[in-house]
Amino acid sequence: MTNAVEPVVVLEGLTKSYVVPVREAGLKAALGSLIRRRTRTVEAVKGVSFAIAPGEVVGFLGPNGAGKTTTLKMLSGLLHPTSGAARVLGFEPWLRQREYLSRMTLVMGQRNQLMWDIPVIDSFDRNRVIYRLSREEYRARLDDLTGLLDLGELLNKPVRNLSLGERMKCEIAAALLHRPQILFLDEPTLGLDVTMQRRLRTFIADYNRHTGATVLLTSHYMADVEALCPRVIVIHHGEILFDGALSKLIGEFAAYKTLIVDSDGGRDLSSYGEVVSRDGGRTTLRISKADTARVTAQILTDVSVRDLSVIDPPIDEVIDRVFSEVNP
Amino acid sequence: MKIFELMAVFFRVGVLGETAYRANFYIQIFETGLNLATALAAVAVVFSQTDSLGGWQPFELTALIGIYFMVLGGINLVVAPSLQRFMEHIVTGNLDYTLTKPADAQLLVSIAEFRVFRLVDVVLGAGVLGTSLTVHAVEVGWLVVAQFTAAILAGAVIVYCFWLILATMAFWFVRVENILQIFWSMYTAGRWPIGIYPKWLRWMLTLVVPVAFAVTVPAEAVSGRLDGDALVGAAALATALALFSRWFWRKGLAHYSGASA
Repeated sequence: MTNAVEPVVVLEGLTKSYVVPVREAGLKAALGSLIRRRTRTVEAVKGVSFAIAPGEVVGFLGPNGAGKTTTLKMLSGLLHPTSGAARVLGFEPWLRQREYLSRMTLVMGQRNQLMWDIPVIDSFDRNRVIYRLSREEYRARLDDLTGLLDLGELLNKPVRNLSLGERMKCEIAAALLHRPQILFLDEPTLGLDVTMQRRLRTFIADYNRHTGATVLLTSHYMADVEALCPRVIVIHHGEILFDGALSKLIGEFAAYKTLIVDSDGGRDLSSYGEVVSRDGGRTTLRISKADTARVTAQILTDVSVRDLSVIDPPIDEVIDRVFSEVNP
Repeated sequence: MKIFELMAVFFRVGVLGETAYRANFYIQIFETGLNLATALAAVAVVFSQTDSLGGWQPFELTALIGIYFMVLGGINLVVAPSLQRFMEHIVTGNLDYTLTKPADAQLLVSIAEFRVFRLVDVVLGAGVLGTSLTVHAVEVGWLVVAQFTAAILAGAVIVYCFWLILATMAFWFVRVENILQIFWSMYTAGRWPIGIYPKWLRWMLTLVVPVAFAVTVPAEAVSGRLDGDALVGAAALATALALFSRWFWRKGLAHYSGASA
């Protein structure tokens, strides 16, 4: 999919290491550190390479400390890499050229850029001036976003009076007023309730469809990833473990499938596989992927089955497995 | 121009933010009034004992106090709150948002927060300055006005650069609020003409913490006692500090984007 068009994001061997102070516990160590600081180097991102085509929505997955945020920060120009190269929309991000910065956006779920004490609309107005939008452009985009995110009621309230979900909607609107062509979303749904998460997911998908913007998104909620990202990149300990279609990730890493069998009389099926649960005639079995076809056929011959379904394990479990396999 | 449009929008935001807590406005008037009264009373006490203090007449000293409050108001209006906010943002990581904006980061950081109620200091200070000059029927010629304007501008630039340099250190040391305490304790000394202090302190107030240029030099201009060299010195120092602080800021920013987690 990336062959046909020129990619908008290209990373080649991107590496970032930090020098961090080492402090041992205790008063003596604390006092000692006033004189001499001991440091060590932490490699947060180790030679990461990938490319993203225009309009793609890519999920960037990994456990805490895997290097996701560091990578996003390099791509949004906040950090210089230690080595390697990256180009986004043809720019080297960390040069922080105005032309680049006005075409991208970074949303961090755990931080806010709206000002606490003043109405949302006034924070938006500040961004209008910073991004040099004409009043007409601003008006039109504000109307769009107000409609899509249902902000009408919220715009004139001070941020401190908003709920977390309302605030996040406004944060996202503020980050999109200048209609960026590339979105870096770091945990945009963090801490939101399920309804609000779904709301934001729908919005991101719509925004991507309407504007053709490219989205690179990290999330701990697999529902976000499943709903939004046909492609995922999995990073762990600063290295890329997997880059491809979400379905392929499941196929590759899911070691088992779940079999749900509805049978007359609820026969004991434990001889066919591990019984996860039993509820009347309904039995849930866990079967290793290689055996699925054989066991399914066997059950269908041996047992009088009313209904049978084979399903993939939840994506969370698969991801969990990816990490534990690499780092047992 | 873009800079002024940005400042206007930040100023507007400041007005909105401050007026949300309007009790602060009255508290501010009360606080400034009290401080002014104390400062003026101290002058009265001094001049009940003597006719001149280090060659300064009573009305010159009240003019100086007026300038002291104007400059104080100016610092507290935007420089101090913005740079304090900047240092907090280094700790919390919120600086990241500022850096992703397509505008000069130093500018955005320096005007981030307007505490508009602090204009009370500026207005009352200007009132004291004006009153001192009128009551003593001082003829203020165009030369004095020009000198005063130049001196106060140079003073403003010097104070801003001084703050910026201190704040920029946060890029390396993260928590540097303590350094700013030094500024405040030294600034209080600016209520009196620095000529009355012992030599070592005069040097400190001129070169280490630039109170002399912020308050005494403009006050000398008003009272027509400013010598040309001091003004040239102030202008030279302002230029040098502006260039240095800009360079230092860029260093700090490069360090931040090279190292922050």
